[in-house]
Amino acid sequence: MNPQTETRDAHLAPGQFPLPGGNRRSDFLKRAMVVGGAGIAGALVAGPPRSTDAAQGSQADLRALNLILMVEYTENAFYAEALRRSNLKGELRDYARSVAAQEKEHLDFVRSALGGRAEDEPDFDFGDKTGDPDAFAAAAGDLEDLAVAAYNGQGTNVTPKTLAAAATIVSVEARHAAWIRSIVGEPPAPDATDTPQSADQVLDGLRQAGLRR
Amino acid sequence: MSSVTVGRTVITLAAAGVLGFAALLLWPAPESAPRLGGLPGPPTPALDVPAPASLEREPHLAMWAVVEHPATAREAPGAGAAVARLRTRTPDGTDNLVLVQRRARDGRGRVWVEARLPVLPNGTTGWLPRGALGGYRIVRTHLVVDLTRRTATLTRRGRRVFGARVGVGLPQWPTPRGRFYIRSKLVRYRSSFYGPLAFGTSARSAVLTDWPDGGFVGVHGTDRPDLIPGPISHGCIRMRNSDIVRLGRLMPVGTPLTIR
Amino acid sequence: MHELSFDRLDVDGALADAAERAGVMSRGTFLAGALGGTAALLGFAAEPAAAQSARDVSILNYALTLEYLQASFYTEAERMKALRGRAAEAAEVVGAVERAHVKAFRDVLGGKAVGRPSFDFQGTTEDQNAFLKTAVAFEDLAVEAYKGQAPRLQANSALAAALAIHSVEARHAAWMRYLFGVEPATRAFDQPRSKQQITRVVNSTNFITGSPSTEGRRTPSYTG
Repeated sequence: MNPQTETRDAHLAPGQFPLPGGNRRSDFLKRAMVVGGAGIAGALVAGPPRSTDAAQGSQADLRALNLILMVEYTENAFYAEALRRSNLKGELRDYARSVAAQEKEHLDFVRSALGGRAEDEPDFDFGDKTGDPDAFAAAAGDLEDLAVAAYNGQGTNVTPKTLAAAATIVSVEARHAAWIRSIVGEPPAPDATDTPQSADQVLDGLRQAGLRR
Repeated sequence: MSSVTVGRTVITLAAAGVLGFAALLLWPAPESAPRLGGLPGPPTPALDVPAPASLEREPHLAMWAVVEHPATAREAPGAGAAVARLRTRTPDGTDNLVLVQRRARDGRGRVWVEARLPVLPNGTTGWLPRGALGGYRIVRTHLVVDLTRRTATLTRRGRRVFGARVGVGLPQWPTPRGRFYIRSKLVRYRSSFYGPLAFGTSARSAVLTDWPDGGFVGVHGTDRPDLIPGPISHGCIRMRNSDIVRLGRLMPVGTPLTIR
Repeated sequence: MHELSFDRLDVDGALADAAERAGVMSRGTFLAGALGGTAALLGFAAEPAAAQSARDVSILNYALTLEYLQASFYTEAERMKALRGRAAEAAEVVGAVERAHVKAFRDVLGGKAVGRPSFDFQGTTEDQNAFLKTAVAFEDLAVEAYKGQAPRLQANSALAAALAIHSVEARHAAWMRYLFGVEPATRAFDQPRSKQQITRVVNSTNFITGSPSTEGRRTPSYTG
């Protein structure tokens, strides 16, 4: 079974914009307004239900996927440059090779999901993070953590099908994060939960990592 | 008509699909992150996950396990003479269990467990294959019976939670000294001699070896509370009925028992 | 062989979900009807559908059962003291996290939380090699389980919580794989597994057992 084919079916295909129907804007705004107040910590609250409006859903999907696309562009550029600069040896190099290949698959997947709606690839300046092995390892861990936070942050914004597809990727990003930390002898998973980040926070993080627009 | 807000641009979508499609093509050209605007931040999660905490140091933990398959206990892990053959049930009709002390691997990498055994001579331990036993169960309690003072004391996590005076074995049928464990609990039977409830232990009379069902020492109630404390029994540890009922609420089966 | 209760009841949640979607009744009452009084024992209170999302309660209880399994496994491994070095450290750290997960699910579910099962880990907590192999399997399984259920959750707050844990389980999986000496991430896309598939795998381990029978009603035959 080809995972790419499998998961590609699980989300929007280019040109397949659902017909807008009915007056469901209130659902979308209600959801947007209860950010941060959707539940009382420690209480199981029904909370705002996941939106079922197809038009709203597809637009949120497009925005969320474009944010994710920025993350994947960054990861791909980072690993590609690190491998090109060829200063990684041994375990770090093996890691970079394996992960670069997987990130390429992620990028291809997200890009094709967006079709003509994909943002263009931005520019990057990674400095010595792709040249110095120690800097590389630290930056890789941070970038993979950022990817997890980005995916988790958008999980509640997208339709179930897009969520299912994104879920197949986020756990792999988390594996990468624990992997690189294991290699350098840092705690691979010290926290009980992974804190999600908002789109703005993710973009800030990407800029810190080297994204330039 | 429904509308949606993208950045600062409000786009009105008509009901017809074609016009809706066209409307979406009118999104503004990329700026810093125009197509990413308007994404809600993450909601408060339904779970409040506490900070991870290490296990407490628990010097008073004991572990026991059910004998799931008949097994031969040996002198050493996977080697040595047979020490005892264990059954899966007790004469009380309950699951047979052993108190587990430590573990080791044999030459072939299989796990063996050293356990206190309910056999004579009292105090016998032996090595059982891990596969013969069920899951480990934990107890934090310890029952200590002092034959000289004629007291029974239960501690939990090292703290005393119960005390009572007891009747113990007569000189000719002494209660054995040593390290044992509570193996079973019997309730709702009809016998005023044993009181309202009784615990079976792994200890056995060294004298009454022909006793039906093996001559096990019990901890139970009595119809002669006037005799307590004192050397009064065939080896059992007797206490007043109100005390045994209280102990019944506090002491789980598997609790280690020290008789001194 | 003892099975996970929900396996007998409800294949992949399909039956109860169908009833719920038809607006017929909440999952709790559906199961109560199907099983008589036993539904209450399994943590499903018969409540009206409007009170809270019965489906989300069901999914959270399923997650709780898997967290019990993991937490008990790591806790026992730490107590057995059979692990060395980084494997021992991992058991301590991951065990603490899984115990925190258990506490969180129990707190949010309150009286609806399923009880902790009895476990028999059959030596896998007592041998380093067996431990790592089992830990890898558990963590990969947890990732697949959370992934399978996340799109089914109805409340955004529950989904946010599930995603925040799902990725942590994936970190654990990579960590244990690394310690065991296998690739932490073998492919670009991790696949979900349905509740039915997960239940089948867990049952096949025979790790979940019934409670021992240590109390009887025979007249004692002690020496007296």
